[in-house]
Amino acid sequence: MARKSQENPALDMTPMIDVVFELIIFFVVTLTEAQRKDETIELEDGQHGIVLVPENLPPTHMQIDIASRDKNGRPLPKGRISMGDRELTPDEIGRRVKEKYRKIGEFPILIRADYDVKHEVVAKVMNACTENGIWKISFMAIAEDKTSKPGKPGRPHLNRVRKAR
Amino acid sequence: MARKPQENPALDMTPMIDVVFELIIFFVVTIKQEDLFSQLNANRPAPATGKSDSSESDTTVTIAIGAGRDANGVLVYNSREVTRKELDANLRDVARTSTKTPIIVRCEEKSPHKALVDVLDICYRHNLFSVSIFTM
Repeated sequence: MARKSQENPALDMTPMIDVVFELIIFFVVTLTEAQRKDETIELEDGQHGIVLVPENLPPTHMQIDIASRDKNGRPLPKGRISMGDRELTPDEIGRRVKEKYRKIGEFPILIRADYDVKHEVVAKVMNACTENGIWKISFMAIAEDKTSKPGKPGRPHLNRVRKAR
Repeated sequence: MARKPQENPALDMTPMIDVVFELIIFFVVTIKQEDLFSQLNANRPAPATGKSDSSESDTTVTIAIGAGRDANGVLVYNSREVTRKELDANLRDVARTSTKTPIIVRCEEKSPHKALVDVLDICYRHNLFSVSIFTM
C-alpha cells in the first residue's frame, strides 16, 4: 500500500494524545470510585498515633467502618457497620475475617469508627475479629485536621490534650 | 484524503495546551484536601476469658472508661475520676518508670468510642504501646 506523496511523513501525535488523556481520566475516576467510603463518619483526634499513609498500610489490611448517624444526621443507636459500601452484621464481618485469615494468615484490621459510636458496637466488631484469630486491632483517628473549619458543629473538642511539646 | 498544501506540517500544540490547562484547572478545583489520619493499635483479649490471666502483673495499669453524663465519657484511674489532662500526667509518670508497662483499658458498653480513642492517644503520646481493651 503506497503512501500518497502529499501526506506528511511525520507521525501524527494527535490520536495518541487523545487516547492518553482518555486513559488518565479513566484511571483518575476509577481510583476515586474505589476509595468511596462512609462519609457520615467523623473521627476523634489522635495526634500521637502512627501516621497512616497508604504506602505504609499493607494491601491485605481490612477496614471496617462504624457510623453512628445516618445520611440525614439522625442518630443510629445500634450503629451501622460496613465494609466498603456494604452494610454488614458482626457475624458477616466474622465470616469474612475467618475466610481471609484462612487464606493469608494474620492481617491488620483497621476500625474507622465515629467518635460518637457506643463502645458496645465496637466491642461486637472486635469480638468478631478475635473469635476468628485476629487479636491486634487498630483504630483510625485524625492526626492532622485539614478539612473541618473552626466553629463547625459536630465533633466536640472538650478536654482534649493538646500537643504541648 | 489529500491534505491541503497550506497546512503547517509541524504539530500544532495550541489545542493540546488548552486542554491540558482545562484539566489542570478542573482537578485543582475539584480536589479536596484530605485529613491526615493516624492509627492506634491495641490488643483485644479473647471475649470468653473475660479477665486476663498471665499478662496481668503488679505493674499493670488499669484505666476504666464509663458512659458518664455527656458525650465525652468518664475516665477512671486508680479508682478516681480523672480528666484527660490528669490522666496524661499520670501516664507520664508511668512511662517514666517503664514504657513497657501493660495498660488495660476497661470500657463500659455505653461509653463513647471517643473516650477510648482519647485514652489510646494519651498512651501513645507517652510511648506506652502494650494496651489491651476489655469490655465490661
